[in-house]
Amino acid sequence: MSNNSSAISVNNLWQVFGPNPEKIVDSPDAALPRAELREKTGNTAAVRDVSFDVAPGEVFVVMGLSGSGKSTLVRCLTRLIEPTSGSVVLDGEDIMKANDARLRELRRTKFSMVFQNFGLLPHRKVIDNIAFALEVNGVSKEKRHARANEVIELVGLQGFAYAYPEQLSGGMQQRVGLARALAVDPEVMFLDEPFSALDPLIRRDMQTEVIRLHEELGKTMVFITHDLSEALKLGDRIAIMRDGAVVQMGTAEELIANPADAYVEDFTRDVPKSHVLTVRTIARPLADSETATGRTIPADTVIRDATAAVLDANGPVGVVEGGNIIGYIKSRDILQVVGGGTHA
Amino acid sequence: MSVRTEPAIKIAPKSIRRSWILGGLLIIWVAVAQILQGKATLELAVPDNSKFTAWAGEVADSIRDNRNDGLAFKYFFNPIREFIDGFVNIIREFIAIPNGSSSIPVLGWLGVISLIGFVVFAVSNVRMAFAAMALTFACGALGLWTDSMDTLAMTFAAVILSLAIGIPVGIWAGLSDRVLKVVTPILDLAQILPTLVYLAPLALVFLIGPASATIATMVYSIPIAVRLTAFGIRGVPTSPVEAGTSMGTTKRQLLRKVQLPMSSRTIIMGINQTVMAALSFVVIAALIGAPGLGKPVIDALIIRNVGDGFVAGIAVVLIAIMLDRSTSAAITKKETFVPPSEADRKRRKLALIIAGITAIVGIVLSRQMVWAAFFPKQIDISSQVANVSDFAVTWVTENLELLTAGLSKAVTVGVLNPLESILANSPWYLTITMITLISLILGGVRSAIVSATLLIAVVATGLWYDTMITFTQTIVATMLTMIVGVIVGVWIGRSVRAERALRPILDAGQTLPAFVYLIPMLGFFGPSRFTAIATGIVYSIPIVVKIVGQGIREVPVNMVEAATSTGSTKWQLITKVQLPAAKKSLLLATNQGLIFVLAVVVIGGFVGGGGLGYLVLLGSSKPELQGKGLVAGFCILLLGVMIDRIAQYMVARNSAPKH
Repeated sequence: MSNNSSAISVNNLWQVFGPNPEKIVDSPDAALPRAELREKTGNTAAVRDVSFDVAPGEVFVVMGLSGSGKSTLVRCLTRLIEPTSGSVVLDGEDIMKANDARLRELRRTKFSMVFQNFGLLPHRKVIDNIAFALEVNGVSKEKRHARANEVIELVGLQGFAYAYPEQLSGGMQQRVGLARALAVDPEVMFLDEPFSALDPLIRRDMQTEVIRLHEELGKTMVFITHDLSEALKLGDRIAIMRDGAVVQMGTAEELIANPADAYVEDFTRDVPKSHVLTVRTIARPLADSETATGRTIPADTVIRDATAAVLDANGPVGVVEGGNIIGYIKSRDILQVVGGGTHA
Repeated sequence: MSVRTEPAIKIAPKSIRRSWILGGLLIIWVAVAQILQGKATLELAVPDNSKFTAWAGEVADSIRDNRNDGLAFKYFFNPIREFIDGFVNIIREFIAIPNGSSSIPVLGWLGVISLIGFVVFAVSNVRMAFAAMALTFACGALGLWTDSMDTLAMTFAAVILSLAIGIPVGIWAGLSDRVLKVVTPILDLAQILPTLVYLAPLALVFLIGPASATIATMVYSIPIAVRLTAFGIRGVPTSPVEAGTSMGTTKRQLLRKVQLPMSSRTIIMGINQTVMAALSFVVIAALIGAPGLGKPVIDALIIRNVGDGFVAGIAVVLIAIMLDRSTSAAITKKETFVPPSEADRKRRKLALIIAGITAIVGIVLSRQMVWAAFFPKQIDISSQVANVSDFAVTWVTENLELLTAGLSKAVTVGVLNPLESILANSPWYLTITMITLISLILGGVRSAIVSATLLIAVVATGLWYDTMITFTQTIVATMLTMIVGVIVGVWIGRSVRAERALRPILDAGQTLPAFVYLIPMLGFFGPSRFTAIATGIVYSIPIVVKIVGQGIREVPVNMVEAATSTGSTKWQLITKVQLPAAKKSLLLATNQGLIFVLAVVVIGGFVGGGGLGYLVLLGSSKPELQGKGLVAGFCILLLGVMIDRIAQYMVARNSAPKH
């Protein structure tokens, strides 16, 4: 993927805390385990040489355990924390090079952020929270309220425009957070564990809400989470972080089918593979003893969804990609995956 | 858990060893002090000057001679003095003293009470407004209308000036780590500085009068405004601040639209504390010419007239209650960010208009009618109040002699005299050696170096003996404070009901000026060293109780539950779990107790306490002892710093060690 066609392009980003952080960048010390580095130089490398591109309209998920550097990473992308080195190119412009005024302008128009603890202003009504970025940008009250009302409708907060944040439930508050981020019609939205503070049921509703908004508006999103099922549900692609570095990056299927190391494998162990993998990954040549049934299914069908069709067929089913049969599967192959066999 | 238990195991044998050494040291000290009793005590008779104090007197004289022509005075100190004098006078002429050629202030008594009612109603509620009016009226009924208004005007002037400096500096310190770093040591010093210390130096530079008094009050209250404002700004949760920044706010927008509104509650709390600090100081500042209620209090203390002192003291208390309650009602109002409903707001607006009109009527009347201008002389219950308090004090001293005289004698003979003989009446080099060794054991090398240096500086000033007298009283008062404070603190820490019952008393105790405590103590115990000690105890118990109570309450529930489930008795639970776990709070409480006690014990010089406080007071009335008074103030400062440092090092040592 070339930089020109991506919505946001991150190259060799570093964030090192402590004395003389520049010296750590690209040095052999940076590869040391966290405690050793701290002992040796007094530094902590929160983000280590991270690069990725996000395509327009893509939902890119960064996943990792707490302390893996994912929250620092997302703050570096918006320069809430100044990165030590690297570049973040948005719309052809390296935001690392922006001066204060330009950075403010970018924040007011090009990107927006949703926070884990909502970050709402308790002394302002919902509508004024949502219109805040427009307000600081000098948009007239009439115009910014009109825009705020549009997004209020969009996120389903009708009737709450004049309520105060503390009068709303957690889920509703985060809807305000989403609306606020949408109000400026940004090119990229950064969501920092937006649903971690919510109850599981509400969290599921909000995830569905984000999927719906994404389908309607097609915003490019960088979504931070520690929850793998959330990552799988929302992410077009997922980057897994550990100790500040990206260990593996790819689609859900790629991560689960081919984990890069034991860490990723450990992470993905409990994921029901039949929900993520497509039949492509288990298609195989026809054995000599078998005869094809003549039935086919598309290669990008998720195994779970293929189950009924394959069990129905009394023999191998063809897996079709681009008009050609790339292999066959039969009920035993599916049962192996569903039953947790070692296939894949 | 393993992290927690490890240091505990290591410390246990060490602390046993430490207490053995400490005990041994004390025995040696007592024994040697007995042998060398009365030798090398460096005692200086009251009317005599040491070389150093004589020199300080000369310096003071030269400063005084320089007052009109010296450049620093001409272009710096004098303009400041004139500005502040002018500012204070405008406010005083508004409510307290005759305005220009008129025979009354701008507002007569009815006007003042109407205005107070309206303002309190506007910032809090109707009940508080009536209470405030009643309290103000009561000050007039005590025959102290003008003095009360002067105190109010002085407080008000000092508060406005303090906030004008304190809030901007506080905001700056809240936003910038570097500013906070610069400001913090100054704030810390201001907090341990006993009030009596800087009165005389300020009077020397700014003359005796309202300007000096106002500046002294500001020195005392600005740090409070700075501290709480910075604390408020820093206390704003990170996510709204990050959210604001991520939406492209400028620094000014972030401050105005996010940080200030979200910290308004803490800042108002800071205003409340600034007001209370200013009031309590304005009363003491009568010593350097602050007009108002401090004067009758001091007069009464000097001639030991308990009845009159009570009357003025009660007026101070009434004003304190009025100011505290009305400003804290404004804090409770700020508890939620959700404003009242539209209908409520309309009703409130109407009520405000009505109240405003009533206030204007009262103000106009007070400028037109004699009865509304001068507080009616017929309403004067001061002599009755004085009689009642005289009667009460006489009754207590006669019928509860065992309690008053007995207590006084027991403490004096049992604790005070023996300690004095060790600290003050034994050779100075012995005392310094022993204090240094003890602080070495308790606080480590650094605290030992600090103590030794400061004590040698005291010796150099020539006021060693008086310093040790004050030190003795401070230690005795703090010990007694800690005994009572820990018992009550444990009680309120364990019982929510006790906490709720005592909280108003503790809050009230903390807001009252130290001065007013002297009056009843003087009545009960007469002029003696014990009176100074008793006042120190009463004054510092609330803060100690609060800190200990909080420490006990903060002991993790699971620790207490674990101990209870293994079958501990209540006593075992307190002594083996709660108190040890709250050790840091106990140390902190001791530190605060010492500082509070020291501040009051020196004021006790007024009522026979002797020591440094007495010299400070003497210095302000006798020109030939002026230098001695100034140096005595300096020694109080040295003592305060020494006590604070030892305590701080102890706290640092006892905090959970970092790997």
